[in-house]
Amino acid sequence: MTDEAPGAGRIPDSDLVERGRTGDESALGALVRRYQDAAFRVAVSITKDDDTALDAVQEAFLKAFRALEGFRGDASFRTWLLTITANEARGALRKANRRRETALELVEPIASRGPDPAERAVLADESERARTALGKLPEKQRMSVTLRIEEGMSFREVGEVIGSSEGAARVNYFHGIRRLRELME
Amino acid sequence: MSTMDCAGIREMIPEVASGRAGQAGAASVEAHAGSCEGCRAELALARLVYQSRPQAPAELADRIISTMRRDRRRLQRPWWGISAAAVAALALGIGITARPAADTLDLLDVEVALEDETELWLSDDGVLAGAPVFDALSDEALAELLDELQAIAPPGGQA
Ligand SMILES: [Zn+2]
Repeated sequence: MTDEAPGAGRIPDSDLVERGRTGDESALGALVRRYQDAAFRVAVSITKDDDTALDAVQEAFLKAFRALEGFRGDASFRTWLLTITANEARGALRKANRRRETALELVEPIASRGPDPAERAVLADESERARTALGKLPEKQRMSVTLRIEEGMSFREVGEVIGSSEGAARVNYFHGIRRLRELME
Repeated sequence: MSTMDCAGIREMIPEVASGRAGQAGAASVEAHAGSCEGCRAELALARLVYQSRPQAPAELADRIISTMRRDRRRLQRPWWGISAAAVAALALGIGITARPAADTLDLLDVEVALEDETELWLSDDGVLAGAPVFDALSDEALAELLDELQAIAPPGGQA
């Protein structure tokens, strides 16, 4: 659903946004179904935890729809939504980390969570290895790689979501790809 | 041999790996990758990243849509809208926090509070008024209010 080719005879986002503004819930529902996967990928790329990511995605959609009045029609709804999602996910991650600290649990920091050497041997599957390697990249590199490849975003759009310039998004992407290749060797 | 250099090919790899590239673009990347080990490895890696991309759980969309409906009802209700709900939540909150260890507001708490709390009242315009109006609410309206209160303070405690 989310991965349908853009422009393949589907209703443009701008039409759905316009209908959503006038209170058409089915249009808003269509936007949810169209972008839930992309939003989930952005959120989980930041939180590295499914439940935290799901909450962030839900909150991001609610905030986006509440703010739909102020959304500029000429901007990309997807880029705008994913930027809100990234912010929500970072906030959720901070909150989760604070909870963890105040609980005084001596757990491994979430950003470096990965399989130990014994587990790694079991993760022979190439896909698993790719996801594990991605998880080891710094956040901006990881997001640049996934937004560029998985969502097909331009470097300008990637930059908007990660809060960088177009040039920085490009550098982050190519650094990320190079590091990923090293980790996969 | 492709006429394009590695830098140009690597710019196009994400589109080819995800199947978004046009036929001509895909063909030139494939041709180049056939004779360039570096670009071949990068194309294979990008395909792996694309194919292993996570998907949202199937129930996520429904969950978001039903929360969104509740959210919009809460924000757009012509009467007893958000201010009334907030007033009621505040009133209920006072009753609930007075009870030991009740730091979360779940549906059961609200039901108990509504049954027990005889001093609760609110008016049509959401301002506390001199007469209780819960009696006048239909079961359906009351259920909706409970629904809203849950949206304001969901069981997880994250408002
Ligand atoms: Zn090459």
